[in-house]
Amino acid sequence: MAHIVSLVYRVLVPASPVILALAFGLYVPRVLSFENIINIIQQTAFLFVLTCAQTIVLLTRGLDLSLGPSVSMISVASALTMTAVVGSDGSNGSNGIIAALAGTASGLLIGLLVGLFNGIAVAWLRVNPFVATLASMNICLGIGTSLSDGHPVFGIPEEFNVAGYRLHVLGIPMSIIYAVAVGIALHLLLQYTVVGRSFYVLGSNPRAAIVAGWPRRRLLALAYILSALLTAVGALILTARAASGAPNLGGGLSLQTIAAAVIGGVSLTGGRGGLSSALIGSFFITILSNGMNLAEIGGYTQMLVMGAIVIFAVALDRVARMDV
Amino acid sequence: MSVTAVNRAALRERLSARLGVVGLIPFLLVLVVVGMTLVEPRFYGLPNLFNILRNTSFLAIIACGQMLVMIVGGMDLSVGATAALASVVAAKVMASATQAYGFDPGTAIALGVVVSLGSAAAVGALNGLCSALLRVPSLIVTLGMLSIVSGITLMMTSGMPVYGLPQGFITDFGRALWWGVPAPAYVAVAVVAAVWLVQRKTVLGTYIYAIGGNPHAAIVSGISATFYVVLTFVLCALLASVTGLLITAQMGSGQTNLGGDRLMLLSIAAAVIGGTSLRGGIGRAEIVGLSALFLSTLTNALNLLRINSKKELVVLGVVVVAAVAIDSLGRGKAAVE
Repeated sequence: MAHIVSLVYRVLVPASPVILALAFGLYVPRVLSFENIINIIQQTAFLFVLTCAQTIVLLTRGLDLSLGPSVSMISVASALTMTAVVGSDGSNGSNGIIAALAGTASGLLIGLLVGLFNGIAVAWLRVNPFVATLASMNICLGIGTSLSDGHPVFGIPEEFNVAGYRLHVLGIPMSIIYAVAVGIALHLLLQYTVVGRSFYVLGSNPRAAIVAGWPRRRLLALAYILSALLTAVGALILTARAASGAPNLGGGLSLQTIAAAVIGGVSLTGGRGGLSSALIGSFFITILSNGMNLAEIGGYTQMLVMGAIVIFAVALDRVARMDV
Repeated sequence: MSVTAVNRAALRERLSARLGVVGLIPFLLVLVVVGMTLVEPRFYGLPNLFNILRNTSFLAIIACGQMLVMIVGGMDLSVGATAALASVVAAKVMASATQAYGFDPGTAIALGVVVSLGSAAAVGALNGLCSALLRVPSLIVTLGMLSIVSGITLMMTSGMPVYGLPQGFITDFGRALWWGVPAPAYVAVAVVAAVWLVQRKTVLGTYIYAIGGNPHAAIVSGISATFYVVLTFVLCALLASVTGLLITAQMGSGQTNLGGDRLMLLSIAAAVIGGTSLRGGIGRAEIVGLSALFLSTLTNALNLLRINSKKELVVLGVVVVAAVAIDSLGRGKAAVE
């Protein structure tokens, strides 16, 4: 019995976003329209990049609650950098490009700092990842909302918005190109590099990493740094889409990315998951919220459904793997 | 290793853990109090002290529940949402009992409290059943439950405060002074004392520690882990709802949003700073109560110093990491699990 469940489940997880979309399609045909499918793919691109970031730390048996607020903080900080470089005289061509580069660099730098904080707290100070990132979540939230007093930052140079979001290459929007690049890079890292493979071992068997004499702490810190850098990439793309630095951009993204990763099959106890799980999970969450929006299900009911589905999906995962 | 050596090692570990945890918080507390005395005379005003006491009471109760769940190796992210649910349910029941059904205020209050505690217990039971029976990590269960419960609470009220509470509930309880001290303080002292008694003197407390310390050993020795884990989650939800009720009585209305995620975050911070281990098996009510006092005093001090609530978050984050880092580094090189 358990065997059959497990077999069904192995097919069910990858197919779940498609099943979900078809189910919504029966109810609201508009879900399956060409425009909406393109829309879903674009929406997924953002969540996917951030879920990849979350997946890296989940693999090491950690988690990152600071992801969402750090997205907001990076968005506001990079927007402020750009507006400062552009200056009050308005942008001319080269100035805009320099500003965009400065904004991107500052965003990545702040990502690096967040990653260093989390990494040092978890690896060297031995603070539980939950507590460490809970703390950095508050710190990012505090800084992100104080930087601009909670107001959105407008006046980002056009060049940044175009390169980050609006440009289409061969008809494909930039956000999707970035997402594909991140996906490929993550896959190569996790599957073909020693560092990537070591993340799995840190999660599934931390003792083995110690016994083998690996620089366990440095690897763990590296996972948090890579994750935070990816978060910064996601934050920059989201900022380009919003065409402003938004202090509430991150909102519930920490929890959404954890939910997406876990629904896709990443284990909270580490060592299991990868590119496909991030992809499946982020499609699932995006289709669910898109479908519910088009079905005109109210926001409060959506919260209820989303919560129930997260619990249900993970429970199903547990049941399916009980005999493995 | 001989038995005495084992005992001695265990004793040393227990001593260092106790010194590390108990020693740190009073020190920090004194630091904040002395610092505030020097710079801000308003800190010692009676209204401000009552303010600190009220906030400490709210936090200590909800943090005790969080601590119990952490001792069995879990985590409850839904405590804030549960407190809000309790607040709204109590307000709705009390309002309709007095207005629509014409009950006298006393009966209406009792009815509201009972229904509100019942709804919280149901949330706790669901949390416990999902994490104990289905073995879904409690982080995910309670994360989902946070979303579900907030959704339900918002559906019930459309996000509006619920008015119409019996006046007695507010004036004679929520905002009242009993023998010169805010009423919630008595509730908090009673709760912390009760949890302390349960932890120290009852089989239930011992089982809760045992399950968190070594689940397999607990099961092998015949403890029904599932039952006690569910019970712990129910207790946690009940304590969260007590905090919700106290805040409701003070604010004078049912609130769908008791400060957002703040209550949940603070409850975790109080439990963790109070030395509760996220790996389970360790945690004591009296220290968590003390840590609630410290956190409430700290946030109050930051408010008085006109450090706005946004920057306050940064300070809280740093304090949490520092406290936990000092604690875990102080325990020496414990093996990685």
